Amino acid sequence: MSHLTPLNCKEAFARLADYVDRELTEQELTEVREHVAVCAVCAREFKFEEHVLEALRERICRIQVPSDLVARVTAALRARKGDAGR
Amino acid sequence: MAADERSSVTEEFEALVVPVLDSAYRTALRLAGNQAAAEDLVQDAALLALRGFGSFRKGTNFKAWFFRILMNRFYSDYRRARRAGTPVDLEDTPELYLRSRAEAAGIIGPDDPADAVIDRIDTELAVAALDALPDEFRTAATLYFTQDFSYQEIADVLGVPIGTVRSRLHRARRLLQRTLWQVAEERGVVTGPEVGS
Repeated sequence: MSHLTPLNCKEAFARLADYVDRELTEQELTEVREHVAVCAVCAREFKFEEHVLEALRERICRIQVPSDLVARVTAALRARKGDAGR
Repeated sequence: MAADERSSVTEEFEALVVPVLDSAYRTALRLAGNQAAAEDLVQDAALLALRGFGSFRKGTNFKAWFFRILMNRFYSDYRRARRAGTPVDLEDTPELYLRSRAEAAGIIGPDDPADAVIDRIDTELAVAALDALPDEFRTAATLYFTQDFSYQEIADVLGVPIGTVRSRLHRARRLLQRTLWQVAEERGVVTGPEVGS
């Protein structure tokens, strides 16, 4: 357990967005984990948000990159190498 | 600059840019909205970056530097051509919007996981919801969803303070939940009673 006062639901909830974005400090993260370990309501809410976000990311990133993209760009770069670093 | 030196600079640049082209294309496609524009955007950004490579400081974050050029190029020449998405209600949206709507619609019980909601969201629906966001939220959200960037890296790419990125992403996520539900209702993917929002 943290040596600090445990978070209440409102305080834990205020960290939800930063939690799912992995932007909490280690201390903040520990405090949130300690809260959701003992609060089933918050645990469900955090899990729901995490899962929806993961699903959205997976679907938004479901993209077939053209197989010739690298060849096309490198050919363009080599054709314009006279511009390099100007 | 001598020809040999320019070739060497181009090779050095290629070694850095080639590994980020695929991920740049993913962001470009979600920003520009179609494959041809996305390919052109990535190539234009690469050529501009080659020209400006002298301003890149070795040892710093090349990907963030390159994405900043890509975003600037998008803003200057591609944004106007992008298709318009579903208009989004800019009224602020509470946290857990999707969960509360899904519960009210009987899609999930209070103890169910998110799977019942996730199963109703396909790529087309997710992208339509992303497209519907106003530009300032959509660009931040696109970088957030298509790249593993931190708030600080997104701030560097967009040239705005980290606090601005944080607030835009938090609001974008809530707006996205509202828009997802709106688009899903329009498409008949979900139906349900109105709940307070």
